[in-house]
Amino acid sequence: MAAPLPFSESELRLLQVLLKRKVRFMVVGLSAATLQGAPVVTQDVDLWFENLGELKISRALQEVGAAYVPPSNFNPPMLAGAGAELFDIVLRMDGLKSFAEEIKNCVDVPLGRQKLKVLSLERILASKIAANRAKDKLTIPVLRDALAAMQTLKRRAKKK
Amino acid sequence: MKRRVQPIDAAKASRWAQRLSTRVGKILAAHPDADPDNVRHTLILLEQPPLERLQRSLIRGRATAIFRK
Repeated sequence: MAAPLPFSESELRLLQVLLKRKVRFMVVGLSAATLQGAPVVTQDVDLWFENLGELKISRALQEVGAAYVPPSNFNPPMLAGAGAELFDIVLRMDGLKSFAEEIKNCVDVPLGRQKLKVLSLERILASKIAANRAKDKLTIPVLRDALAAMQTLKRRAKKK
Repeated sequence: MKRRVQPIDAAKASRWAQRLSTRVGKILAAHPDADPDNVRHTLILLEQPPLERLQRSLIRGRATAIFRK
């Protein structure tokens, strides 16, 4: 299968191997928001794993020539190696419940024959409000307006 | 890879813009505090497939980062 937008062949392979091995993860942050239609920009794709210590993850990463690099000094937890640079690892999400609870609030985005779990826009907004960093403050009104637009569209669609 | 651009005639473009404007207006009626630009851009993005939305976001995000350096 040709790599779908916006992923390179190796990035796509990494996601597919994680999905094939049934690793529990979801896309979070602004990349998740933009997948759902929020007009925000981002530089990377944040992945939240339920359990980073899982053997399935290291095996999946090995399979595609990538590796997990724990956080150090100024570096956040990272993935390194072929096709892994686009992805950032998230260890905790401000203002949210456990992974097991939040995965219930995910939307599915098709990725070839598989489906990516993506945190719902409502919960992304909740995490940005809780984190309240300077960069979050810039995006909160945009996420709020996008959510309002989508909720209105849904309500109108239900009425029809 | 070069993308083939689908031409759009002025009348069709005008109808699309009118529909968009109407939809923005309806959302603003329900959410008067929302920013019309945010609502309009959201509606435009919802016409694209999810992965295309992400691609647009990444391209713009990286361009902004390079510009800042």
